[in-house]
Amino acid sequence: MRKFALAAVLFFLGGAFLPGLAGDASASISLEKCTLCHGKAEFRKLLVGGSIRDLFVTGDTLKGSVHGKKVCTDCHFDVSEIPHRERPRRVTCTHCHFKGNQEGAPQSDNVLAYFDSAHGTAIARGNAKAPLCQDCHGSHAIIKAKDPGSKVARAHVAETCGKCHMEIYAQFKGSIHGAALGKGITEVPSCTGCHGEHKIYAHNDPKSTIYPTHVSEQCSKCHASISIMGKFGIETEQVATYKMSFHGVAGQFGSRTVANCSSCHGVHDIRPSDDPLSMVNPKNVPKTCGKCHPGANPNFAVGKIHVDAKKKESGIIYWTAFFFKWLTICTMLALIAHIFLDMYGRTRRLRGER
Amino acid sequence: MTENDRKDATRDAVGREVEAVVNEQLAGLPPEQAEAMREKIHRRVREEIERDLRARSAADRREAARHAKEKHPEEGETYLRFNRNFRFQHMVMFSSVILLIITGMPLKFPNFLLSRFVINFWGGIQNSTIVHRIGAGMLIYFMVHHFIYTIVTRDGRRDFWLLLPNLGDAKDIAHNIKHFLGKVPDKPRFGRFSYIEKFDYWAVYWGCIIMIGSGLFLWFETDVLRFLPKYALDVAHEMHSDEAILATLAIVIWHFYNVHFNPDRFPGTLLWWHGRLSEHEMKEEHPLELEEILARRAKESVEVTHR
Repeated sequence: MRKFALAAVLFFLGGAFLPGLAGDASASISLEKCTLCHGKAEFRKLLVGGSIRDLFVTGDTLKGSVHGKKVCTDCHFDVSEIPHRERPRRVTCTHCHFKGNQEGAPQSDNVLAYFDSAHGTAIARGNAKAPLCQDCHGSHAIIKAKDPGSKVARAHVAETCGKCHMEIYAQFKGSIHGAALGKGITEVPSCTGCHGEHKIYAHNDPKSTIYPTHVSEQCSKCHASISIMGKFGIETEQVATYKMSFHGVAGQFGSRTVANCSSCHGVHDIRPSDDPLSMVNPKNVPKTCGKCHPGANPNFAVGKIHVDAKKKESGIIYWTAFFFKWLTICTMLALIAHIFLDMYGRTRRLRGER
Repeated sequence: MTENDRKDATRDAVGREVEAVVNEQLAGLPPEQAEAMREKIHRRVREEIERDLRARSAADRREAARHAKEKHPEEGETYLRFNRNFRFQHMVMFSSVILLIITGMPLKFPNFLLSRFVINFWGGIQNSTIVHRIGAGMLIYFMVHHFIYTIVTRDGRRDFWLLLPNLGDAKDIAHNIKHFLGKVPDKPRFGRFSYIEKFDYWAVYWGCIIMIGSGLFLWFETDVLRFLPKYALDVAHEMHSDEAILATLAIVIWHFYNVHFNPDRFPGTLLWWHGRLSEHEMKEEHPLELEEILARRAKESVEVTHR
């Protein structure tokens, strides 16, 4: 009886697994079939514009990528006959990549974030040039973003974005952030460091991390951190002094016209102030300030911009603050003492003392 | 029967009553023990009566003072302290200062919970800066008006000379502090302006000069930077923000105590509106001025009768 039960269980399990095994077998057959044509090194297509589309694919193409165990038709599932008559449709990553999928793809809502982003909405509006998943992540050689070789890794993402945003990429390459990235410094932000990864919005969209009122917050994520800035000998007081300045305060109260970090330091072309191309180089300060303060002259650069009245190095500003601090303390102490003496005298007289 | 006689009579009556009760209670005790006990009771009763009388006479005094105060607005002559022009100046000044404080302080304390509310009340930072400049315009107008008033009008010139601090004020301060501490029974006799009022006046002078000066720097920053370096603007900014704190504290603590929370004034007088003081207030606060006024009147009437 026991033996019979075991046999029955094995039978049913076998029944469950066999189709899977069979499927695997058919897939491998499909790969072999694909490489019949695509496996030839010279298999390519001359496009109308004169460019060449390389169609060369081997069994090793997906090896090493996150999709190493997938086969062609897992993504190109619209290919049902060989040779296919029409060009296969663009691969739809959302076929597997959604929260709650059963395929073992990472569980994330990034796809939803993407469809809300500037790129996703451009696609929805019918802009054929806007990027889809594979434009940034790559098509066959997709590896994890944490892997330094990935197209979306910190060191390479600027290049990836630069495929379309060419001018900005050129500006960024020359900036202090781009130069540091070139040196392999890992703390430095690339495109996604400020713009976000999937939630990329236009700079005039209030949801954006680089909306005028969010810029200072975004920059201060790193520039207010002593542990990051200390490594490079950069001071962190700029954030605090900006926040206490009129520009910073008005920005906190929601003014969009007031200067934020990038109004003066530049957006993609941020350079150290001793660089003659820097917007905050003393020579360029009149022009930079003149954007909002028409008629700005070199006097705008005489004196520290991020000045902290609490520091002795600020000179006359420190002494002004010092004078007023003690004037206030002494005056108020004297006045409050007078008030309390008055009340004390009144209390005495009310009690019937002299 | 005077008050003291009445008190004595009461004391005698209570004494007799106590005596009778004590005698009754001590009847059974041996004589020396009874004597000691009697002495003890007498001492205790005397203490109690005296304490009661002290408290009661203080209450009487308070009552009398309250009556005097309730009477004074209607009774007696009133004296014009501030003319209409001066009252107008004060109104312009306090409305501008209120505007300036409520639109300026949120910039000094942006993280304070109410700041955002106050800024949004005006419809955002853009509008609140406009309101701040309206307030600034009013304060500048007040300053100019007051300069002209001081130079052109007779009252203005007289008040200016009377407001200059002098040695008498130092003596008054010392006298007043001694009075508060109970060392001197009477408070100092002030003229038209006590040292408190002189301080208020010159504090406003100092505040207006600092605030308007530095405020104009910040208002016309580009024009200022045409002639001055950027750190001059930083100094102006620092002065503006620090002096604002001092002025606000002085107004809210010192001026509000003197004109609102002071028990003589609570919850405030209408002097700023009608500009008049009653005879009682004149006697209390400006006795020397009152004497002067009365002396001048007497002289005038003598002149009139002799003409």
